[in-house]
Amino acid sequence: MSFIIENAPLIFQGLSLTIEITLFGVFLGLVLGTILAIGDIYGGKVVKGAIAVYVEFFRGSPLFVQLFIAVYTIPAILHVQIDHLSLAFLLFGLNSAGYQKGYVKGAMQTVLDDQMAAGLSVGMSKVQTLRHVILPQAYRIVIPSWTNEFCSLTKSTSILAYIGFIDLTGAGNSIIRETYNVLPVWVVIGAIYLIWITAFAKLADIIYEKKKIPGVEFMMQ
Amino acid sequence: MTNYVMEAKNVYKTYCVKGEEKQDIKIVEAVKDVSLQIRKGDIKLIFGPSGSGKSTFLRCMAMLDIPDKGEIYLGDQCLTKPGVDLNKARARIGFVFQHIYLFRHLTALGNVELALRQVLRLPKEEARRRALDALAEVKVTECVSKYPSQMSGGQAQRVGIARALARNPDIILLDEPTSALDPELTGEVIDTLRDLAKEGTTMLIVSHEMPFAKEVAEEMIFYDEGRIIEIGPPSLFFNAPNTDRAKQFMTRIINKTTR
Amino acid sequence: MVLAVEQQLIFILEGVPYTLSISLISFLVGIVIGLPLAFIRSYEKDISFVVDWYEKIFRGVPEIVLLLLFFFGLGAFFPFPFYNAFFVSCLVLGLRSGANQSQIFRGAIHGVGDEQMIAGQSIGLSKWRGVWHIMIPQVFTFSTPGLGSEYALLIKDSAYVYVIGLLEIMTRANQVRINTTDMVAPFIFAAIVYIILTFPIAFWLDRWGNRRKKKIGL
Repeated sequence: MSFIIENAPLIFQGLSLTIEITLFGVFLGLVLGTILAIGDIYGGKVVKGAIAVYVEFFRGSPLFVQLFIAVYTIPAILHVQIDHLSLAFLLFGLNSAGYQKGYVKGAMQTVLDDQMAAGLSVGMSKVQTLRHVILPQAYRIVIPSWTNEFCSLTKSTSILAYIGFIDLTGAGNSIIRETYNVLPVWVVIGAIYLIWITAFAKLADIIYEKKKIPGVEFMMQ
Repeated sequence: MTNYVMEAKNVYKTYCVKGEEKQDIKIVEAVKDVSLQIRKGDIKLIFGPSGSGKSTFLRCMAMLDIPDKGEIYLGDQCLTKPGVDLNKARARIGFVFQHIYLFRHLTALGNVELALRQVLRLPKEEARRRALDALAEVKVTECVSKYPSQMSGGQAQRVGIARALARNPDIILLDEPTSALDPELTGEVIDTLRDLAKEGTTMLIVSHEMPFAKEVAEEMIFYDEGRIIEIGPPSLFFNAPNTDRAKQFMTRIINKTTR
Repeated sequence: MVLAVEQQLIFILEGVPYTLSISLISFLVGIVIGLPLAFIRSYEKDISFVVDWYEKIFRGVPEIVLLLLFFFGLGAFFPFPFYNAFFVSCLVLGLRSGANQSQIFRGAIHGVGDEQMIAGQSIGLSKWRGVWHIMIPQVFTFSTPGLGSEYALLIKDSAYVYVIGLLEIMTRANQVRINTTDMVAPFIFAAIVYIILTFPIAFWLDRWGNRRKKKIGL
């Protein structure tokens, strides 16, 4: 077990990368997912079709394959050298948006009809109503799915180790190469993932308790 | 220069209701060539059998549903013309929904303030003052910091009325304001409407609260199957309506209420 | 050159049976694990914490870490059966799926409602016979959308077994890239194959579930 202390900096470095890319991915996914959801509700046939293709691609194929496409295929097609880390960050955001679009759209639609009518009736425009009425409620309704997405994303960041980055899994691989101590390392790494996910879920719970509004969470099914 | 606060001219509105199976699409002709004029200070009440299209007509007046044919006028402005800024127009109309539709994520105060800040662009303090005044007028000051889920139906609907009033609209349209409430709670809403009527607010109400109609409405409009069948003062309908359909409806309703 | 491209694609396609068999076996393992866990969690309050822990571990630890742990970790001590990539793939994904399905079935149990169990008891069925005859058929009907997406998820997550070298679609696509230095075709093709595999299943299961729901009056 001493390998933990000896390799603590490496583990810490790996964990940092994992956390960074998870947070970046899940928040970019939320912003982009919201745009896609709004486009899917209000857009014309062309917009809806494009969104459907986008979602089908990102939800229908493995993240692993998407990552390799991002890192190998895209630079080859565009004949540009782009650093792999940025591509990976972007990809996680785009992928998450594919899933979050569904969650946000569903959350919006639970309140859309009546709240939009109410918003229009006081003279607000559709955009104002979306911004001040629909989205504030949708973002509270979406929280369970969102924390789920967060957990999924965290786990899938482990693929970064296979394009040469030192995330938490990559740190594990490194340590094993040095110490040949396979089983304990993975047990510890696995435990660290669990601790991170549990800690974040707890934090999300606390924030949610502070920000919740009586009456809005009752919609969550 | 028109005399009317609002006018509907030959309005038509049809909509489709999807049924259980793909083939079951019902076509409902909710509004068939309906015309109506409302002057300042009028208190008119539309009543009739359920499903006749009264609510749809009211929503068309507020341009919450867009008429298929015909014109809606707010003062001199024709709202059904293309290119009209509907948001600005709706800002001059107050609407109260049957199912209330308060903004769930805001307190009563927030509900009333929102339009004052976002639509009228009032500064924070003035918006707050006016909102508090509106809430006091409908006598729900105790709910100021409460969320919709923490209020009774009657309190919520009165907040809805305050929300509609706060912008000092030219007219208030009310769509069955008491239908979704428990019977014990309708009284508070009706009292509020009575007060508004006394102050000379221009109102167009869809309702089947007959006692209220008798007391407050200046003119009653019988609406059935998409059309206005008969118009007249309450005394006409409660004593001797002209048309058979109105007669039938009134007998049914009066039997129900005098139990 | 045309020949080479065709050979590439066939090589990748030959991974499909592996992908499908891993997904299918894992899915079935998931049902065998998830269904009992869901009922235990719903009806046996004393031992339900075991279910919670199981779910926490197998939904919280990344699949890749589990695969590496079983294959390289346990494989060192027990080469049979843990040094077999196919076995470990099905095992790990099955355990993970069991955790997901436990949640799906729990939601369905809640959706079906307690009244059904009470009705069963009122006609004399014991608790577990009630579960078998009354709850399980309805639970499956309620679960179909969730199960559909879980199956699609398994097809996609089968790509993780790349890390233990099993020659399914993903591993083969990467191999083709290495052999031909073609950065574009293998991965795009692989993505399309996966999309073709995931698209119909979730779609049909969802429709089947909705039709059965209508039949039993929901």
